[in-house]
Amino acid sequence: MIRDITLGQYYPEYSKIHRLDPRLKIIVTLVYIISLFFIEDFGGYIIVFAAVAAVTALSKVPLRFMLRGLKPIILIIIFTFTLNMLMTKGTILWEWKFIRITEEGLYNAIFMALRLIFLIIGSSLLTLTTKPIKLTDGIECLLKPFKRFGLPAHELAMMMTIALRFIPTLLEETDKIMKAQQARGADFETGGLIRRAKALTPLLVPLFVGAFRIAQELAMAMEARCYHGGEGRTKLNVLKFRGYDAFAIVVAAVYLCAVAAERIFI
Amino acid sequence: MSITVEHLTHIYNKGLAYETKAVDDVSFTVGDGEFIGIVGHTGSGKSTLIQHLNGILKPESGRIFVGDTEITAKGVKMNEIRKRVGLVFQYPEYQLFEETVRKDIAFGPRNLGLSEREIEERVEESMRLVGLDFMTYAERSPFDLSGGQKRRVAIAGVIAMRPEALILDEPTAGLDPKAHRDILDMVLSIRDRSGNIVILVSHNMGDIAEMADRVFVMDGGKLLRAGSPADIFADEDYLKRIGLGVPPATRMANVLAKGGFAPDRTILTLDELAGFLASPSSGLRRDAT
Repeated sequence: MIRDITLGQYYPEYSKIHRLDPRLKIIVTLVYIISLFFIEDFGGYIIVFAAVAAVTALSKVPLRFMLRGLKPIILIIIFTFTLNMLMTKGTILWEWKFIRITEEGLYNAIFMALRLIFLIIGSSLLTLTTKPIKLTDGIECLLKPFKRFGLPAHELAMMMTIALRFIPTLLEETDKIMKAQQARGADFETGGLIRRAKALTPLLVPLFVGAFRIAQELAMAMEARCYHGGEGRTKLNVLKFRGYDAFAIVVAAVYLCAVAAERIFI
Repeated sequence: MSITVEHLTHIYNKGLAYETKAVDDVSFTVGDGEFIGIVGHTGSGKSTLIQHLNGILKPESGRIFVGDTEITAKGVKMNEIRKRVGLVFQYPEYQLFEETVRKDIAFGPRNLGLSEREIEERVEESMRLVGLDFMTYAERSPFDLSGGQKRRVAIAGVIAMRPEALILDEPTAGLDPKAHRDILDMVLSIRDRSGNIVILVSHNMGDIAEMADRVFVMDGGKLLRAGSPADIFADEDYLKRIGLGVPPATRMANVLAKGGFAPDRTILTLDELAGFLASPSSGLRRDAT
């Protein structure tokens, strides 16, 4: 049951997008997100759509994986869509009792929904094509300049890496304990809210004990291999900026110019 | 009571690219009071198989009967099944959660809806069965005990439900030799006391050879062989091919056989080996004349 939950979003493939420098991908994704908020009409979305479609095709990630990222926020999209549609004043298109749909409302609703969809698809492209380890590597590198202001960049990245690494382990642990307690007649599935919350004790206590045990073992294993924080630490795989990374920057710049030009001139 | 399994198949990650048949068309019957040993290398499907026997996992296809009840049928009360078939998982000490040993062992019986007196009685009984002194340990926190003691508490928590069949998944993994022996003796004494079915999953061929009436050999999700320990462990080459081995005494006897000192039957335990070595027929004894 719990084993079936798909974890992380990474889609293993060996595409041009996958091989891009993670730092670059993070920055470009940020720029892309900001660019979405500069767009004022549907013309801009045509450029965005073209860009996203091109990157998706290059990344070789199947479309259904891209759309799966939308699933958790579908409620939010519907919610904003409905609110925008009903709450905007303007020329009335359709009216029934107190429900009133206006032309401007419909326009706004579609516009906002599209913005959300593009937002999610863009950022899932990042997580789908970048291994979590590379992602945290990139974040660590990008945060380095802020070390000066006391930001523990390496430690933050390490924490993220460890957290990601242990999600499946803890899920497996949960699954095991749940089964063991079910074998002793525990019932996690029926009863009211309070009964169910109470029924979680036999699951949560061993899980916490286990998490602390795992953490302690991991800390010991890291120390045994001389881990002492980020100071003076080198990496096995150093992030390198290569030729096609530069090419990607050019492409991103062209995209940005296109969005800006569309806004100014059309 | 008997347990019957018919054409049981279980698939993990069904429909995904990495779906695997963990249990593949397995059928067997375990008779009343039988002691079954299941052997197989890691990932051979042993643990998945036994988790079906008390309804923790649902099969993809196939049927399981516990006594007269078909537990794979719809509408079967799961607690009724779990009362009858007790399952001790690997490293069961990680399931302990209560403040005291007494409360932890009482968790199972309480879930069965028994009266306080009955629960108290069962806690005392099962602590006695696993060899933990009630007066000394009942009020202690299970987290303060040693590894072997924790495991006894966890096992007591299962036998307090008075199952008619007891299934143990590698109950001695990670224990020192003394605790290992203690757990095995405990399993034997529980079985002698109750006369119930015991199914023991283990990587220790010596333990299986010593205790089991019948041995099941699993590989790749399939139940490949079933037979008496003497039959199963007679074929060392086969067991080695699927990543297993034979008990130390059998190994020794096989080496002796290569040297021309073949025993007339399969040696399983050290006692049997000693008996063979001391007998005149071994040709190893040099009598002082």
